[in-house]
Amino acid sequence: MAIAVLKASVEVGDDLPSIARQFSLDDFKRADEQTIHTDLAAARREGLEAPVAIGPQVASLIFRQLREAFGRGWVEGGACTLTFRRPVLVTDFCVARGKVVGTSTDAAGATRVDCDVWIENQRGEKVIVGSASGSIPRP
Amino acid sequence: MNPNASSTRIERDAGGKRASFDDIVVGAVLGEMEWVVTEDMVDKQSRMDHDYDEFYSLDSPWGGRVAPPQIQYRPPRWLLSRSYNIRGLFYRWKMENLRPIRLNETLRVKAWVTKKYVKTEREFVVFAAEATDSAGNVVFRTERTHLLDVIERSAPRAGEGIDSGIKAERI
Repeated sequence: MAIAVLKASVEVGDDLPSIARQFSLDDFKRADEQTIHTDLAAARREGLEAPVAIGPQVASLIFRQLREAFGRGWVEGGACTLTFRRPVLVTDFCVARGKVVGTSTDAAGATRVDCDVWIENQRGEKVIVGSASGSIPRP
Repeated sequence: MNPNASSTRIERDAGGKRASFDDIVVGAVLGEMEWVVTEDMVDKQSRMDHDYDEFYSLDSPWGGRVAPPQIQYRPPRWLLSRSYNIRGLFYRWKMENLRPIRLNETLRVKAWVTKKYVKTEREFVVFAAEATDSAGNVVFRTERTHLLDVIERSAPRAGEGIDSGIKAERI
């Protein structure tokens, strides 16, 4: 059974697990399609500097983080709002980070945990920012 | 703006004429679709995202495997593409995982346009979607904001795009 990292004793200021990934062009290839994620000319024609990573695949670092933090409390009852602030290039290194900003107890006695979450690239720029929440069942 | 990048917005691509800001109708229903998540789809999602868990690969407290919640990304985007030919970029993703997405369960996904706006001389469309199971329970809700064009709206439309956005309706 998957074990959640966060416990009911979680406190404001606690860190969520960090999840890192080095992306590569191959991560975004789909068959032989020329897309803004795989092809320089396709990307530049749309006004981009170079091929960019597929947003949901980058955001998945946060979803992995939340699954590790909350376990079943992410899969059922989890929520998040993410803003893609700037494009991630297909060869960028990214790391998801997060911090607990609030806790409360719901009607069932579970601990509801609110978090700030974000993804930084190798230059320390926040490319995705947002908030997320999940629940921790009563022990 | 990158000096090597285009200074015009794309006028058309393999999917036909690109949807303009004026084409988008707030309140319009983007459609409905039935969606069944299979083992293969979950395996592929886990591989793409490097997101492996016993819940997704072996068994879960809900009885059997369930899907990573982020697998919900695609059906609402497919519904947007059925109505509007948009490439652009994904800008905001709001998601609520109300129930686990079970394998081989038929979900009904419905999407609709909630808003459109201009910010920093760029055009955005906001659309929402909801998925229900066969008993009518809401499985997930989501709201997406999509940027129509990376290039500012004052740029003329001309030429053909190489990438027409999401094409095949598959994971």
